[in-house]
Amino acid sequence: MSATQEPGLRALAEKYPDFPKSIILKLDLQRRGIEFTEATAHATSQPYYRGPEQTAFSGKDTTRQPLPGPILLRDGTSVLASPVPNQFVDPYTIDYVDGKFYAFDKGERIDEVDFAPRPEFYGKSTSRGVPMDSIAWSRPQRLDIYPYRYCHYWDTRDQCKFCAFFTDLKKQKQLAGDSYAKIVHPEDIYETVREALKEPGRYSQINLTAGTDYSGEVPFENEVDRYIEVLQAIGRNFGSRRFPSQLIAPAYTRQQVKRLYDETGLSSYCPDIEVWDKELFKWICPGKEKWFGRDYWIRSAVEAVEIFGKGNVYTNFVAGVEFARPHGFTSIEQALDSNFEACEYFAKNGVIYLSLVWTPWKGTGLAGQKQPPLEYYVRLVRGLVEIRKHYGLASDNDDFKHCGNHGDSDLERLT
Amino acid sequence: MSKLPDELIELLDDPASIKIVGTSDEDGTPHLVVKGSLTSLDGETLVFAEGFEGTQSNKNLVRSIWFDRKVSVNITRGLESYQIKGRPYKYLITGSTFRVMIDRARARRGPEADIAGVWVIVPEEVRNESPAVKAAEVLQKRGHFHRHLDLLRQAE
Repeated sequence: MSATQEPGLRALAEKYPDFPKSIILKLDLQRRGIEFTEATAHATSQPYYRGPEQTAFSGKDTTRQPLPGPILLRDGTSVLASPVPNQFVDPYTIDYVDGKFYAFDKGERIDEVDFAPRPEFYGKSTSRGVPMDSIAWSRPQRLDIYPYRYCHYWDTRDQCKFCAFFTDLKKQKQLAGDSYAKIVHPEDIYETVREALKEPGRYSQINLTAGTDYSGEVPFENEVDRYIEVLQAIGRNFGSRRFPSQLIAPAYTRQQVKRLYDETGLSSYCPDIEVWDKELFKWICPGKEKWFGRDYWIRSAVEAVEIFGKGNVYTNFVAGVEFARPHGFTSIEQALDSNFEACEYFAKNGVIYLSLVWTPWKGTGLAGQKQPPLEYYVRLVRGLVEIRKHYGLASDNDDFKHCGNHGDSDLERLT
Repeated sequence: MSKLPDELIELLDDPASIKIVGTSDEDGTPHLVVKGSLTSLDGETLVFAEGFEGTQSNKNLVRSIWFDRKVSVNITRGLESYQIKGRPYKYLITGSTFRVMIDRARARRGPEADIAGVWVIVPEEVRNESPAVKAAEVLQKRGHFHRHLDLLRQAE
């Protein structure tokens, strides 16, 4: 099916009148990407919006620019999308007109949008002199912290095939910029969180993730120790035993997961399966296959429910990468069946299987590949929500205001 | 957008006013909640804080903004009353207006008060429902028809 034959936002909104148009827009903003006009770039570099400068990789092109927080749609839905130059074939344009931002599609004004504003801790430094905006980043209601900025899957060329965090081994440290340490000191994290919490109502969740480090006497033990140290440092900021938080991390053993729960205030754990199909998992996630395979990742997520409780364990998948050539699915129905099977399996075991839209970033092994049509994503997220609803699950941790990546959890506002 | 009447703004600013937001659920059943935070910050739109994401009222508002349904608002103080029909235009989860509303919530209800978000309603119809105003309107439109005769009788 050619791009011109695929129904777009307007056609799908008419075809699925019981599906919110804003969620279709979100899915398409993430699928097709965005670009800023000069007016938008200027407006978002002003003090209310201005974020830290970020490095954007796009093939051989590397640019640094201050970027605002995630996009906010009128209904409060947050959208994680970056205007990476020369990356997208057919992006939406975000323009700034008469003091407001709008999403445009080929000149047609689609809707008003906004951006999450700059948090008050940006621009401040820890007592050790580390810029706080190099320690934590702000989503609309979530504080993101990457305690370890290196993924060792890349050491052996076993990185996930869709991964765009690093373009090659030499550039890995550029994830956070040359001035930032690979390992973030827990005291810097403690102080940054302490400062961020001074802003009333700004955050309702803390999220940790990092590059994978499988080292240790028991594999992943060093990483688990590091997360425990960081979570304990964060926890000193709270008066409650647990605090709303999520760790997106590799699959750990039951003992390692139990340590994370028992020794910290962590409330949610998310080992990402990335792609459900057994053969595609091997091909797309060779590092995860090596450490220690799909069955281990699935078992880890399911066993974690016994520790964190039903609905507090998640696993994300990169929706669309299951079509990647040359081994991916060739039919929409095949891909939907696979993902619904996964969602059903995880849901009956108390795990939430969440989708996020695949972008075939330049600089990854899947660059230039075609994404599935927008309608696939509409059918997918609706089906996922129906399955989870049947099992009494809804995604509080990764909902519309916390993550910005999941059209399916956005839909759960009515469940 | 039109400016709201000064009398309505004055009612909105008065903490003694009773402010009710009416929504409807999936099958059309009305749902009314009192929203003490209801106000106008710009003189054109209405805003109010929502305490929790999962309330029936909030789900109805999400349904309204997704599927273009109207909501209704009533503000009453004594014998003064306004009804406003409009549509939810935005749900704010961060930003300057959100900050204003959470600061107000904590000033009004104490430092432990929390809000989930702030709804922005664009009015489409503003009606003065105060009994005196309605009586004058009816009198002009229908004369004394339907008025109870004891109110029209000659004083003894």
